Amino acid sequence: MFERVGKDLVLRFPLGPITVALNPATLGASLGISLLLLALALWLRREIPADPEAPPSRRLALLIALVDFVENQILGGTSEKLRRSLLPLIATLFLFILACNLSSILPIPGMVAPTQDLNVTLGLALLVYSLTHVYGMRTKGVFRHLKGYLEPIPVMLPMNLVGDMGRTLSHGFRLFGNILGGAIMGAVTIPVLTDLLVRFLGPMLATLALPVLGTAASLVLNAFFGVFAGTIQALVFTLLAAAYIQGAAD
Amino acid sequence: MGPELVQGLRYLAAGLCMGLGAVGPAVGEGIIGGKAIESMARQPEMTNILLRNMIIADAIAETTGIYSLLVAIMILFVV
Repeated sequence: MFERVGKDLVLRFPLGPITVALNPATLGASLGISLLLLALALWLRREIPADPEAPPSRRLALLIALVDFVENQILGGTSEKLRRSLLPLIATLFLFILACNLSSILPIPGMVAPTQDLNVTLGLALLVYSLTHVYGMRTKGVFRHLKGYLEPIPVMLPMNLVGDMGRTLSHGFRLFGNILGGAIMGAVTIPVLTDLLVRFLGPMLATLALPVLGTAASLVLNAFFGVFAGTIQALVFTLLAAAYIQGAAD
Repeated sequence: MGPELVQGLRYLAAGLCMGLGAVGPAVGEGIIGGKAIESMARQPEMTNILLRNMIIADAIAETTGIYSLLVAIMILFVV
């Protein structure tokens, strides 16, 4: 059942004709984050007053600011008609990816950010890719949507198909690569720092200097790769998702 | 070739791949950021739109850097 693939423990089981492989760490972390976001949503939902004219409470103001941010910043480039129907999807994607990226700074043993797993990011990218077709067919009709692949001339069909594939792959790989790169930097820095200190200061001074410098290095690394890059990448993923869907619906 | 030499060449290849692969995106993102700030200074009321387009352009310029990171990881751990 359980097998080791590299450093990960993978659960493998046959399901009909195919063998399914699951990574329990990723699965558990993403399910936990989903439940946390669900709880947050239910908690914020209770704050919506029955009377729309009532002054907003603090939590309602947070909710309004969040929806306003997604509507005007991330979906600012989409058409008015599409914006309303995309808002729930894009807000959910943004919050899920943001929470996944930020979970990498939590000091829980065995905790990895789910977006550090290619299966998660590529799955999200494929979800966005299938939605571009749904929105394209819904706004333009099946025939005109498929005809878009023959433009500007029918010979361009293979180019358009390869372009679609490369776009979707790079959409998933970008998030995965950024988060994995940050995680590798975090994992590599402390051993390298220890080695350098021992080599240049000697073992005596190194034991004194390492706690201070190691803490400072972890703080800087987590702040930059965890919080800053994680937020930017969540923003980038959702901005591109909105741009792709808007491009298909035009 | 001995296994140590192969391992050493593998580290060298991963380092070269990542180092050279980072040059292109760095230059590209620098140009994008510089031009975007230039435009923001000229037309501050356009900042929101410019910032959004800058982030999208940065993300696309970064793609080749991410590919070289993946290749470097594959050289180190997979091949």
